[in-house]
Amino acid sequence: MKTSNFANSASRRSPLSEVQWMGQTGKSNARQKTGGAVLLPLTSLIDAFSIIVIYLLVGTQGSGIEVDIPNQLKLPAAISGIAMDKKMPTVRIQNGQYFIDDKKVAESDLGRQLSKLKEQTQGEGVEILIQADTAMDYSDLDPLLKAGSQAGIQKLKFAVIPTK
Amino acid sequence: MKKELDFEINILPILDILSVLICFLLLTAVWVQMGALSTKQALGDNTISKKENPPSLWIQVEKNGTLRFTLKDVKNAGARLDSTLAGNGQGVNWTALTKKIQSLKSQFPQMNTVIIRPEARANYGVVIQLMDQLKRNQMTDVGLSPLG
Repeated sequence: MKTSNFANSASRRSPLSEVQWMGQTGKSNARQKTGGAVLLPLTSLIDAFSIIVIYLLVGTQGSGIEVDIPNQLKLPAAISGIAMDKKMPTVRIQNGQYFIDDKKVAESDLGRQLSKLKEQTQGEGVEILIQADTAMDYSDLDPLLKAGSQAGIQKLKFAVIPTK
Repeated sequence: MKKELDFEINILPILDILSVLICFLLLTAVWVQMGALSTKQALGDNTISKKENPPSLWIQVEKNGTLRFTLKDVKNAGARLDSTLAGNGQGVNWTALTKKIQSLKSQFPQMNTVIIRPEARANYGVVIQLMDQLKRNQMTDVGLSPLG
């Protein structure tokens, strides 16, 4: 009785596996028929490996840091924007609401939170990154500037999309 | 005669699917490179410093795109202390602004400080674009003034 099984590689062989069999000796079916050593299907492994290498190359070519930007936020464009090289506290202004590192903060509490942030950061002085929508009014940024001055934060960075 | 079942997982289709999935993720992922414009805000105190203030340019930004320039602590400025650059009907006249900054920079090369004073309804994007324009024209110290 003739049996058929999907796992039986002898009865179902793809052209790719033929290539694998031909790999070492050049004899297509001779080794298979005599039960020679099965070669590992390297082609797919190399494919996957190449894709991962390309992915890593593309992902790490910029020496910057990874920052999450909400989809609803359209950052302003600027030519002289410089790449960020270190992680810093982020203040996001979205629909008139303020978020320090994704945590919502009331406008009246901004100064206290920024002071706390400054106390936590030792050394050369704290820098904050401001993410805000390009269509926003300046009056929405103003409370943050005042709170920053109250907290003694001098260095502000405005997130932009670099253009050429 | 009982045939021995040689069960072996065929990994080729799995790897193919994996490759396609990785390609799909790579193509659909949005890579946005983010930059930053830096400013150094002035922190006021009540002490009276005898040190001379550096020459500075103050720019008031209005909602309709009109820019008002004021020169402060500039020696030999004469009567050219204040000037206005009207908007072009759609906002700031960027071409005229570039010429204006270049002209001021050539007249007063020692001037590197600019304070931007936007009004409450001024657009944030315009303010950032103005900062960008100033930095590209060798105005290294650009600061933002809070609303009065």
